[in-house]
Amino acid sequence: MARLLIELIGTLSAASTLFVVATGLTLVFGAMRVINLSHGSFYMYGAFIVSTLVGTSTGARYWWAIAVAALAVALLGTLLDLTVVRFTVNRDPLTQLLATFAVFLILADLGQHIWGTGFRAVPLASTLSGRITIASATFPIFDLFVIGVAAVVGIGLWLLLGHSVIGWRIRAAVDDPEVLQAGGVNLRRLQTGVFTLGAFLAGLGGAVIAPQIVVAPGIDESIIVSAFLVAVIGGLGSVLGTAVGALIIALAETVGALVAPTWASTFTYIAVILVLALRPWGLFGVAER
Amino acid sequence: MKSGKKHLLDEEFTDGAQGATKVPAVDNTPKRTMTKPLLLLGCVVAAMLLGAMLPVSYSLELEYAISLTVFAVATNLLLGFGGLVSFGQGIFYGIGAYTIALGWMHHSLSFWEAMAVAPIAGAAASVLMGLVALRTRRLYFALLTLAFSQLAYVIVEEQYGFTSGANGIFGALVPDWLASPRNSFFFVLAISVVSLLIMAKIVSSPYGLVLRSIRDNRERAEALGVNVFRHQLVAMAISGFFCAVAGTMFVIYSQSSYPDLFLWTSSGIPVFMVVIGGMYTFLGPALGAIVYELAHHFLIAHTQDWQLVLGVVLLVIVLFRPDGLAGTFDFVRSRKLRRSNSKTEAN
Repeated sequence: MARLLIELIGTLSAASTLFVVATGLTLVFGAMRVINLSHGSFYMYGAFIVSTLVGTSTGARYWWAIAVAALAVALLGTLLDLTVVRFTVNRDPLTQLLATFAVFLILADLGQHIWGTGFRAVPLASTLSGRITIASATFPIFDLFVIGVAAVVGIGLWLLLGHSVIGWRIRAAVDDPEVLQAGGVNLRRLQTGVFTLGAFLAGLGGAVIAPQIVVAPGIDESIIVSAFLVAVIGGLGSVLGTAVGALIIALAETVGALVAPTWASTFTYIAVILVLALRPWGLFGVAER
Repeated sequence: MKSGKKHLLDEEFTDGAQGATKVPAVDNTPKRTMTKPLLLLGCVVAAMLLGAMLPVSYSLELEYAISLTVFAVATNLLLGFGGLVSFGQGIFYGIGAYTIALGWMHHSLSFWEAMAVAPIAGAAASVLMGLVALRTRRLYFALLTLAFSQLAYVIVEEQYGFTSGANGIFGALVPDWLASPRNSFFFVLAISVVSLLIMAKIVSSPYGLVLRSIRDNRERAEALGVNVFRHQLVAMAISGFFCAVAGTMFVIYSQSSYPDLFLWTSSGIPVFMVVIGGMYTFLGPALGAIVYELAHHFLIAHTQDWQLVLGVVLLVIVLFRPDGLAGTFDFVRSRKLRRSNSKTEAN
């Protein structure tokens, strides 16, 4: 029982990071129909900025480092939207994929200039290090923190998208942009806002998880694939789908690691391909023809 | 509906709803002129001279660039002619390379046997991927092929015992005479030219025209009785076949094989080449491959910022010159083509 609980918390924690990053991706797609391959770069920059700001401190610095990193990445997102992404809206998928792939390459190169090619470790804030025992199962406090962040993001997005004026404007931006604009809404500014929010979430994901991973060039490449898988099996554009997708991926990884360690990652990809073979537009996605 | 295929691309084709009014069709059929064969012959002769006279380090580089033309053109069979954006062609390139490398490592296939098996393995894997991936469209197709690319990568990386994992495979993978740079140059040139000729034949065949008609207007092709799924599946098989051929040439060039060939970023490289060269022409991607590889070779020796340069160039091309280099030379024709494409895409 304790074992099960430990695995469950570990899986939830892994799913949480995936959810926070992938939900930014799906949000941008939902509002702009743009697919952003450079989303992983935002995640990497978030982690890098935190590593610079925290240094070797284990104190309260981590908290404001997260906030600064996420906001800085959000600003980068705004900049990118105004210079590149804006021009790919309503273009074919190949243009979008390649333009954002180009941005991915540029940001990876600039990142190496700023932070070098070496590995960086971010020390854990002392309030988050240590373990906690619940019902005879012991697990890291940090895992609970990550899950908490994902829960806050999830609830925040649910309120924003489902229960606010901005939310219905974002949904209308895809369903009926003409009527939305006729109603006096500045569509472009709305899209810039959504893209900024997407970048913020990726930066937040990278910043939060930084103490638990090895921060180095290349994490942009690996996270973007996982984030895509999550967003795609959930159905691009659906936040709820992203949450379910994150759980499926994290679960497949946990089960794979327990059952057949040498096939662990293989297991995950096969799960994804199976889901898409049965439901080509993802679990909660809308078929596009 | 036997005559459907013919009518589809016939200039006389009339739209039922519009009665007798002619649809201004864009002539996609390649013209039979002597310019292209002569140009090609000139390129081959020039390549042979260069291969014979250049210092070995340069001729090796040229050999690699030439082998990549096959990879780029094979990818463009899907991208430009099939309208299928695949980020998974690295899989078949890798399969081509690993067929030779694994055959050597496990003493199960001789070099020549592996050379014969590799393209078939590539085509078979491509069909398997197509059976699943072709259920999806456009963006989802691109992302699903990307997932397949990653699947292939982790299989090769995790199955250490069979593939020696991330270390890759190095060794005397090719026969002795082929290990000589001059011989390998001419061997690779010969395979590349033959592959390109076969692909050119396929593209201009009735099958190639039907494939393009599906790209331009899937619904109309379907309505005319074309089995879209089967045609696209065949395109994937052909593309996988020649991507694997390109992969075998990678082994001849580098005498090694490693899992990074399967990464989604590796699958992106032929897509770059296609876009740099121009996706609406047959030889554009080949030009793109040579320009890409030579620029890569030159820049990487002089600067650490290769990715930055590539990113900026790619961004400029994608946003401002979607027809690539070939489109710039062949401006009017490709613009007409693009217009006909965007028109159907709007439907």
